[in-house]
Amino acid sequence: MDNILEIKNLITSFASDGRKERAIAVNGVDLAIPRGKTVGLVGESGCGKSVTSLSVTGLLAENGRVESGEALFQGRDLLRLSEKELRAIRGNDISMIFQEPMTSLNPVIPVGVQVAEAARLHEGLDKATAKARTVEIMRKVGIPEPERRYGQYPHQLSGGLRQRVMIAMGMLLKPDLLIADEPTTALDVSIEAQILRLMRDLQRENGTAILMITHNLGVVAEICDEVYVMYAGEVVERADVFTLFKSCAHPYTRGLMGALPRMTPKGQRLYNIRGTVPNLWAMPVGCRFAPRCEFAAERCHGEKPPLLDLGGGHLCRCFAPRGLEDEHHG
Amino acid sequence: MAKYITKRILVTIPVLLGMILLIFFMLNVVPGDPVTVMMKEHLKEDVVANLRRSMHLDDPFFIRYLRYVWDAIRGDLGVSWKLSRPVTGLIATAFPYTLKLALSAALFSWIMGIPVGIVSAVRKNSLIDHLSMGLSLFGVSMPVFWVALILQNTFKGTLPVSGVQTWKGYILPTIVLGWSSAGRIARLTRSNLLEVLREDYIRTARSKGLSRLKVITRHALKNALIPVITVMAIQISSLLSGAVITESVFSIPGVGSLAVSAIKNRDMPLLQGTVIFTAVLIIAGNLVADVLYSIIDPRIRVE
Repeated sequence: MDNILEIKNLITSFASDGRKERAIAVNGVDLAIPRGKTVGLVGESGCGKSVTSLSVTGLLAENGRVESGEALFQGRDLLRLSEKELRAIRGNDISMIFQEPMTSLNPVIPVGVQVAEAARLHEGLDKATAKARTVEIMRKVGIPEPERRYGQYPHQLSGGLRQRVMIAMGMLLKPDLLIADEPTTALDVSIEAQILRLMRDLQRENGTAILMITHNLGVVAEICDEVYVMYAGEVVERADVFTLFKSCAHPYTRGLMGALPRMTPKGQRLYNIRGTVPNLWAMPVGCRFAPRCEFAAERCHGEKPPLLDLGGGHLCRCFAPRGLEDEHHG
Repeated sequence: MAKYITKRILVTIPVLLGMILLIFFMLNVVPGDPVTVMMKEHLKEDVVANLRRSMHLDDPFFIRYLRYVWDAIRGDLGVSWKLSRPVTGLIATAFPYTLKLALSAALFSWIMGIPVGIVSAVRKNSLIDHLSMGLSLFGVSMPVFWVALILQNTFKGTLPVSGVQTWKGYILPTIVLGWSSAGRIARLTRSNLLEVLREDYIRTARSKGLSRLKVITRHALKNALIPVITVMAIQISSLLSGAVITESVFSIPGVGSLAVSAIKNRDMPLLQGTVIFTAVLIIAGNLVADVLYSIIDPRIRVE
């Protein structure tokens, strides 16, 4: 398959104050994004999904470090590129949209100027051309009166409009890959649907692949073609979106599915996964999910399960994978 | 914008009146009779009584206050008891010295403080960071008179250490007065910049492929310097008023020296005049800071 990005065995660590050892936030992640498709990266906060994307684009915080791995993009390993080479790719071939559109936009620079910035940098456009192009993309992402909005500041825009500005920024140069880190989390549900539709339309038009980082399975169902589920720094399941929702196999994924509110008879309690995410410094020896897994056997606590292929590219890191339809929660 | 500024100016009026009232009251309860001060021992009962009447000293407190305010509005701050010259004129003669010293100290503190702060933030925890932050801390914590004496002692012979007959006379007082401001600005710039560099929008800027230099100059600096600029505006007014010790040590005939001599001589009109003048400067500095803030920070700008 023709992949725009292939991450292989990525390991990323973080230094922490007062500790000698570095915490491994991402532990051997493999992930492939087919050209023009949308891949979901799902998991709880702190499972390493954002760190995975920041590792690839070289935007980790100061205390973060990629230990090993590969990230092949257009035949080049992003993890081995110099900062200068990476900069030429960032914002041009790979662009990013972040979660909080209020804090992700510079409060003292007009939004239009912020959108136009990448065009001026990567394509060397003059101010007027860049502005014309920005106004055009702003109109396309559904910002009313783009000429007027161009000169406005982030605080003068609503949350939905701000996120549209972020999308305009991300889509301006028609990147090959758009990394969207929880792009709709800060928005209400009706705006979320609009934003997702917009992203899908732009994707179709430009052939952009999307890595959709989210904790929201609703977003996954809405927009993704393939899904990776991460738990405690590792991929625990990978499947196409239909397989995942029809017959996810990992107990963790099943827990996530079970925790979705549904139309159920009155009095039935919403399922929740017991326990909490393991501490980065005290990872379980065996399966990392074992302490919280209701099906965990003795083997699960002592031995680490491999990522098994259940057929058709459906991968699952579990000794005893099972389909969702086998059992009912609650 | 004009509306905002007008509003801010109007707000300062009650502040000014209250401030004058406070100063007027404080200097009134201070012991010491002006007539005694002026006439020393050569007093005759009826002369004193006449003098008191002519100076309206027997009027009720509030009447005297109102009269003072009314005169002050017209630029008359009374007559110095000691020097027998109008206070307004004395301040007008002294102020240029204070202004020159304050401005050069302010300039010094910006030129030193801001670049040092930026470099320290960008090269965090490097030798240059520790060195400049140490010097800043030194400037902030050392008493002005001590730094002044040390510098005078170090540079005697090379630079003038007393008086301002030539511009060279301003060099040492500028450093003495500006050092602590420079230190404060450097530390503030550094900490603001470090904080801003952790913001989400900096990551956004980097994700666009901007170089580190451009991320700092275009995206971080403006945000980091907004509070610094406010502090700078307030600092000018405090430099204008805080030069008392520096002016005394270096024998600069500015407003600070005037105030000191007024205190020594119990020259109430002169003291009152200098204190009120200084307070007005501080209020004006705060006003300028507010207006500047609203110009630079679009979030505060009123439409």
